[in-house]
Amino acid sequence: MAILQIAGLTKCFGGLTAVNDVSFSVEEGEILGIIGPNGAGKTTLFSLISSFLKPTSGDVIYLGESIVGVPPHVLVQRGLVRSFQIVQTFADMDVLDVVTTAALSRRPMLEAEDYAGDVIRRVGLGGKERLTPTSLSLQDKKLLEVAKCVATEPRLILLDEVMAGLTLAETEAPLAVIRELNRQGVTVVMVEHVMPVIMRAATRIVVINFGEKIAEDTPATIVEDQRVIDAYFGELVDA
Amino acid sequence: MKSEFFTVLRSPVFWGAIILLALGPFVLPSYYLHIATLTLIYIALASSWNIVGGIGGQISLAHSLFVGTGAVLSSALLLKLGINMWLGMVIAALVSGLMGAIISFIDFRFRLGHLSFALITLAFAEMGEIIVIGTEALGGASGLFLPKDKGDLLAFQFGSGAGIFWVMLTLAVGAILINLAVLNLPLGFYLRTIRDNEAAAQAIGVNILRNKTIAMVISAMFTSVIGTAYARYLTFVDPYQLASPVLTVEIVLIATVGGLGKAFGPALGAVLLIPLGEILRGKLGGSLPGLHYFVYGAVVIAVILATPRGLLPALQSRLASWRGSAKSEAKKPSIAAPGA
Ligand SMILES: Nc1ncnc2c1ncn2[C@@H]1O[C@H](COP(=O)(O)OP(=O)(O)OP(=O)(O)O)[C@@H](O)[C@H]1O
Ligand SMILES: [Mg+2]
Repeated sequence: MAILQIAGLTKCFGGLTAVNDVSFSVEEGEILGIIGPNGAGKTTLFSLISSFLKPTSGDVIYLGESIVGVPPHVLVQRGLVRSFQIVQTFADMDVLDVVTTAALSRRPMLEAEDYAGDVIRRVGLGGKERLTPTSLSLQDKKLLEVAKCVATEPRLILLDEVMAGLTLAETEAPLAVIRELNRQGVTVVMVEHVMPVIMRAATRIVVINFGEKIAEDTPATIVEDQRVIDAYFGELVDA
Repeated sequence: MKSEFFTVLRSPVFWGAIILLALGPFVLPSYYLHIATLTLIYIALASSWNIVGGIGGQISLAHSLFVGTGAVLSSALLLKLGINMWLGMVIAALVSGLMGAIISFIDFRFRLGHLSFALITLAFAEMGEIIVIGTEALGGASGLFLPKDKGDLLAFQFGSGAGIFWVMLTLAVGAILINLAVLNLPLGFYLRTIRDNEAAAQAIGVNILRNKTIAMVISAMFTSVIGTAYARYLTFVDPYQLASPVLTVEIVLIATVGGLGKAFGPALGAVLLIPLGEILRGKLGGSLPGLHYFVYGAVVIAVILATPRGLLPALQSRLASWRGSAKSEAKKPSIAAPGA
């Protein structure tokens, strides 16, 4: 069953069409990768799905119901959570308190704190429970983005470049967490520029260019697709 | 509820301090008892404000509205309609809570930023003062005189200086305990995420409107109750004192100097600033006019510059580093670094 269906989704910022008539489905239990050059509209697409932005037109259907206009915190209760590409920190809160707040969306106070401790260790932030953002590296903040999402115990998780800036070795901890979640039945949609990671992790890939979907297929087929090579890999080689 | 709350509740130091304070009326001369009572009132007011302004980070300048409602409305109900002041206190608290909820809703509906929120709440407070001054039934510009306090508890009278002192002590302790409870409940976690980053708070499931409203209503209602007791203490209910935004500025100043968002921060601010202000006025008020304000202002500026995050956090980190160095001092022999 499709857990998420995107139908003709469009978002205009003034004269700029950041997302243009995009449609695709996400099947329950899969790991869907989304790739595309800088400015293609991937983050905007995530903001539309998670209700942080209102679409100009089109529909987002989650678990069989339209969720356009449903506030983000309600979507978290229903199991749809997103991470932020530009890490969002809480200046005066330590790691444990932030992840505990996320865990409170499903658990009572005392349980939430224990569970948050678990999640923090699993993503590889063990020992950093009492640190505030000022003493966390960018990598740690990215891991915290993952921890926050995981702690809400989602059914569908949207991860926006959580591996960016990590070395291939450093991607192991978050990748293991994502895979483990997926094995437990969580559906994952991830935007990632780190090609080896997304090629290995994703079961299917959607390619976006200038706000439009230009391809949708398995990783093996995608790398052969001429339009994708022109739009994306071409750009990467040039850059 | 997190266990930190019960740690304080079970702490002999906490209750010991309260019992010691409760003995105040037996030993303090009346002038100092007055300063102590005033300090307790401001501990209560600043701690109540802290729920919204400190923990929740919403710089509300509307709080004189709630003090004023608690003081003026309950007094007017008594004097004009003969309504018992206990009931008047409850009615005023409900009205304050409702106003708090409306302000929260307006804040949410129009997505006010921090500055607009501060300015709009200030505008509400100004309107409140003008309404009181312009309404004869509320005492108008000349204010209201409560009947003499004969110690009739059923009539919201607490007798001599000792009785009202204990009332204020109860309110101050109550306000601090509410802060502690909020900080150790999900509400406190939600409020802190909202304070630091609203969008990111929503993304982890925090309902912004609901939690801001709950904080505002709790804060407004408790502030209103303090306002009623404050009116009883003063007997003369002066709108220019109790419904004036200047009062809110004092409250915000005290909470900020003590430490925003900390359960005991505003209390520390009040303990420092209220006696300081009163004693300066007593000592310098007669000499050069305005001199005591000048000295008070200089002290406030110095404290804020020295401890920008407030006195309490500064003291805590000083204590922590002192403990830390004491520990490493103790460890030194075992390290035995040659040549160190
Ligand atoms: N709030 C906004 N207002 C105006 N324009 C915006 C806004 N958000 C994004 N855009 C524009 O929309 C386009 C798509 O941006 P988006 O961030 O979605 O791209 P992206 O695929 O996530 O890029 P990247 O790989 O760099 O993260 C860009 O041209 C961007 O400048
Ligand atoms: Mg992006």
